[in-house]
Amino acid sequence: MNPTEDQIYVIIFATLFLGGIMSTFVISMVFIHRQRQVQNRQKMDQIKSEHEKTLLNIENEIQQETLTYIGRELHDNIGQLLSLAKLNFGSLKENKREEGKEILSQAIQEVRGLSKQLNLDWVETLSINEFIAQQLERIQNTGFCEASLEADLELLDLPKDHKLVLIRVIQESLNNAIKHASPDKIHVSIYENGSSKHILIKDDGKGFDTSQDSQGSGMFNLRKRMETIGGQFELNSVIGKGTEITLTLPN
Amino acid sequence: MESKFWHAYVNYYTITVDVLLLIGIYFFLKLPKEKKANSLYWLPLVILGFSVIYEALGGYVNSNFEFKKAVNEFLGNTENPMYNIWLYNISNKQITTVLFLFLIKIWIEPSKKKYINWMISIFLITAVVFQLTGVEPLYLDQPFIAALAANIVLVSCGLYFIGMITNDHYLDSHPLRLISFWQTTILLFTYSLIYINSVARIYIFGISRELAINMANIDRVLGISVRAMLLLIIISPFLNKVFDREPFYVPSRKSDLIS
Repeated sequence: MNPTEDQIYVIIFATLFLGGIMSTFVISMVFIHRQRQVQNRQKMDQIKSEHEKTLLNIENEIQQETLTYIGRELHDNIGQLLSLAKLNFGSLKENKREEGKEILSQAIQEVRGLSKQLNLDWVETLSINEFIAQQLERIQNTGFCEASLEADLELLDLPKDHKLVLIRVIQESLNNAIKHASPDKIHVSIYENGSSKHILIKDDGKGFDTSQDSQGSGMFNLRKRMETIGGQFELNSVIGKGTEITLTLPN
Repeated sequence: MESKFWHAYVNYYTITVDVLLLIGIYFFLKLPKEKKANSLYWLPLVILGFSVIYEALGGYVNSNFEFKKAVNEFLGNTENPMYNIWLYNISNKQITTVLFLFLIKIWIEPSKKKYINWMISIFLITAVVFQLTGVEPLYLDQPFIAALAANIVLVSCGLYFIGMITNDHYLDSHPLRLISFWQTTILLFTYSLIYINSVARIYIFGISRELAINMANIDRVLGISVRAMLLLIIISPFLNKVFDREPFYVPSRKSDLIS
């Protein structure tokens, strides 16, 4: 073999070597892609299962809350109406019996209203605006504090899982305000800022130090729940100046 | 003159590229309007068309010595009026490289597109500066510009592969069913092998002219492979069972080159 042939072989070898490196690179990339694809799918399955678990928990909590509300309504409202109807039916006066019939009709209507809340079908039919208005009306009716709603837009066409999470987060935020803040006024506003929609829950109660651990876990759960649907939860509170919770809806 | 042109122009490479262009035009015209406006489909056709134009121009230049001599004189080359490497330098090494970079840019994830923009700018500025200052004149072989072009294309292909193993859109897809994967792979091989081949060919030319001419066939075969793949990109919407939709395909996009 003369030196010229030698050099040509070196060039051929170098070309084949480079080709080999490129082939190895591409094949390795395909293998890494496959591995990461499997990992990614496992991660997605885990997120999906966590999401489903969160939704299930939320449904349970809403049902629990509804049952408590129904129990209270049965005792405080329907029970009272039925007792009154019983008294009226026991009377000898015709007008009292008529009044008793009206009270009984009212009680039947209340029972029908309550029965609709026993399953979660109401979540489908009720809009978020209507739900907030309903909750604020209840608070207002108890005389605990003044409650108002200001809505620049109607939150319609939300997927059921988004609605469930929002309902639970709003419910919990309002409950926290009532239980811990002793406010004179709770104000909720629904507004749009650019392309994002927000719900602001504001009270003028005691407020708290947001860095304290005691408040931490509850708020952490609410934040995490909003994140499971791609939304955001923001909390601002100053001792003596009330609390502001901003929920940013997923786009 | 005409027979001289055909003699200089006709060979298996130019004929194959011509046929690929004709098939490409036929299928491009059959594409829906929305796809015709997408650079994913018109850019491969532009590259194919450009290849045919510069090969035809190469044939014309080789058949018209006076014209070739005049251009060489204009570029400052009075020593070798037979050279037509300036055409190959400007069309194949520079413009085609930039067009391929634009093509790769369509496929890579949006956050990495800016790197391609930077590389195109650096490449063009370097090529212009090197040619104007006479470091690598347009009428001679340009190993540095060729090396820069090859390296930039290799880095761009690398960016595509990194996206393929990190981006969720690509992780959801099957790479072997993506036309972008095959085109990037072919470009990766072409630019690395053509580079080593062209560097070695200059050296081998001094030892054995015949062997060097035979080695040029490697360039041609790889060139045909790349252009056949360009044709496949245009045809891909008609091959739904073979190729999947690209992860970053945006139907309404008017110009991917601007972003």
